[in-house]
Amino acid sequence: MQTTQAVAIAQRQTRARFGIDKVFLILVLIYLTVPLISTLVFGFTGSHGIDFSTLGQIFSDKDFAQTLSLSLELALASTLLSVALITPTIYWVQLRLPGVRPLLDILSLIPFAAPAIVMAFGLVEVYSGSNMLINVLSLGLVPLLSNPPFNIVNTPPLLVCAYVVIALPFVYRSIDASLRSINTRVLTEASYSLGCGWWRTFLTVILPNIWPGIISAALLTFSTVMGEFTLSSLFSIYTFPIYLNQTGQEDPHKAASLSILSFILTLICVLAIFLLVRRRPGQQGEIELTAAK
Amino acid sequence: MAFLELTELTKSFGRVTAVDAVDLSIERGEFLTLLGPSGCGKTTILRMVAGFETPSAGNILLDGDDITTTPASKRAMGMVFQSYALFPHLTAAENIAFGMSIKRLPKERIKQRCAELLELVGLGEKDRSYPHQLSGGQQQRIALARALAIEPRVLLLDEPLSALDAKVRVSLRNEIRHIQQQLKITAIYVTHDQEEALAISDRIAVMSKGRIEQLDQPEEIYNNPRTVFAATFVGTSNRFNALVVAAAEGRCRVEQQELHVPPLTNIRDGASVLVMVRPEEVNVQKEGALPNSGANQIAGTIILRTFLGPFTRFHVHVNDETTLTADVPSQYARELYVAEPVVLSFAADACQVLPTDSSIKEAEKITESEKV
Repeated sequence: MQTTQAVAIAQRQTRARFGIDKVFLILVLIYLTVPLISTLVFGFTGSHGIDFSTLGQIFSDKDFAQTLSLSLELALASTLLSVALITPTIYWVQLRLPGVRPLLDILSLIPFAAPAIVMAFGLVEVYSGSNMLINVLSLGLVPLLSNPPFNIVNTPPLLVCAYVVIALPFVYRSIDASLRSINTRVLTEASYSLGCGWWRTFLTVILPNIWPGIISAALLTFSTVMGEFTLSSLFSIYTFPIYLNQTGQEDPHKAASLSILSFILTLICVLAIFLLVRRRPGQQGEIELTAAK
Repeated sequence: MAFLELTELTKSFGRVTAVDAVDLSIERGEFLTLLGPSGCGKTTILRMVAGFETPSAGNILLDGDDITTTPASKRAMGMVFQSYALFPHLTAAENIAFGMSIKRLPKERIKQRCAELLELVGLGEKDRSYPHQLSGGQQQRIALARALAIEPRVLLLDEPLSALDAKVRVSLRNEIRHIQQQLKITAIYVTHDQEEALAISDRIAVMSKGRIEQLDQPEEIYNNPRTVFAATFVGTSNRFNALVVAAAEGRCRVEQQELHVPPLTNIRDGASVLVMVRPEEVNVQKEGALPNSGANQIAGTIILRTFLGPFTRFHVHVNDETTLTADVPSQYARELYVAEPVVLSFAADACQVLPTDSSIKEAEKITESEKV
């Protein structure tokens, strides 16, 4: 009898909890979707009701395709460069220089602390002047890259370099957390004992096991670069967010439609990445977006 | 020359010397265990042999070749880790095949050898399982197969059973020994578990503070420990700090009690010694029972009785400072209870006498003066 009562109470409690959970879920969904739906409605509403003509205008606009493709290229280049630079570095530090990790932890937070405008002015200052100390500290790279024929000042390559710095916190945190979640040292030693060298161990043992972390890092870098406005504006490079801003000033309906298009594009990228991760065998790993922020 | 030779092998981490000028020779096909408490340097030696640590001094010779500075990936040493270290993204069969594919063996050969090794470790049907789908014991079996797949010159095992439960530990250690003997492979095994070491090894190196205290066969280590550390670390023992009264007659004194030990040759009268008796050598009889044949008799009271299956362990309170342990076959322990006054007895031959540090120095001095 008592057991039956206990079960009934437990069921009631579960039902009550489930009810509260649902309310929170619905509230969060409303919070997230209302701005999107409003933008969507605003974007496709003309003076005489629903109007899809803005879509036609967008697709026929030469700047749309041009800026979108430039932003995609920048995002892709920044993502690849940051992951390719930072992943082996963190692996190396974890393996051989564990004492340096606290320093990397602090360094990786600097881009969060320094506003983009500071970085932009810093970069302009470094690459436009000819400071002897900077020339020496950069091992001759700054004078090489700030003069023809390799000049990168105010060009997309410099923007990519700046984006790599901006992406450092996401990439570092995400990949560091992944590397710490696997037994990096022991897996590496196991691989060495089986005849594998450092690079091959990194590529065939470590990389597949931190794949979810790399995807997270890539995803965050990609989406950050796709929406980055300040640096590209200061470097006078005509990217998609600048196009969006300009369009918004001329025609708010068109800007709203563009925002929706941009959102859909990002959503496709996110879904593609999720599917890519889920399909990998032997892993229960999930994308660790939380690790990055 | 032995198959694997470590000469004056030393490893320091800053000011700490983890391994202190260790000399060790291991024969081909031998199963050698490095036994000692944590921090004694046993794992560091194994890691230096594997190539994961560079020695601060000394050499490692394998089959006559100096491999001290050879990278780990070129040493062909199969390693089994405490944490299994299976590659999580690969199946059991792929893990085993990993080393062979690095060696670029033909695919057919790899497939055949994988199947053989899976059968050898008794996991023929688990070839497609991922590590997270296997139990700890199964993972360690796969790790063993993976290490054997590269046909290692030496198999290195770093506390491979520590993470497993007691039952699996015993069965897997027997399997490891069986496979090692079957394949006649040279193996170095690191453990802090004395029972494991005694059960599995051809020889045991008992280690303390970066040095080898005693290198011997398991029986010798247990029955004739050469140092106080080896005597206290391996097995359970009753220990008495005694003074030698008459060395030639084998008489010592512990407080007011006289102890009969085997005649002592290298120790002088008046030297302080450690007398050690294994619990299984101690008989327990009720007070007032028939006189016991043991040369040494000590009266006491049972304070704890622990039934351990084939034998029962008694903790007997002798005086305020001394509690002795006796293991009695369980069929003779039925009528002995807690709080009962008893007499403990043991033969003189059952006693092992070891000079304590001061008496070692004294013995060295005597030897020196005799030489002069």
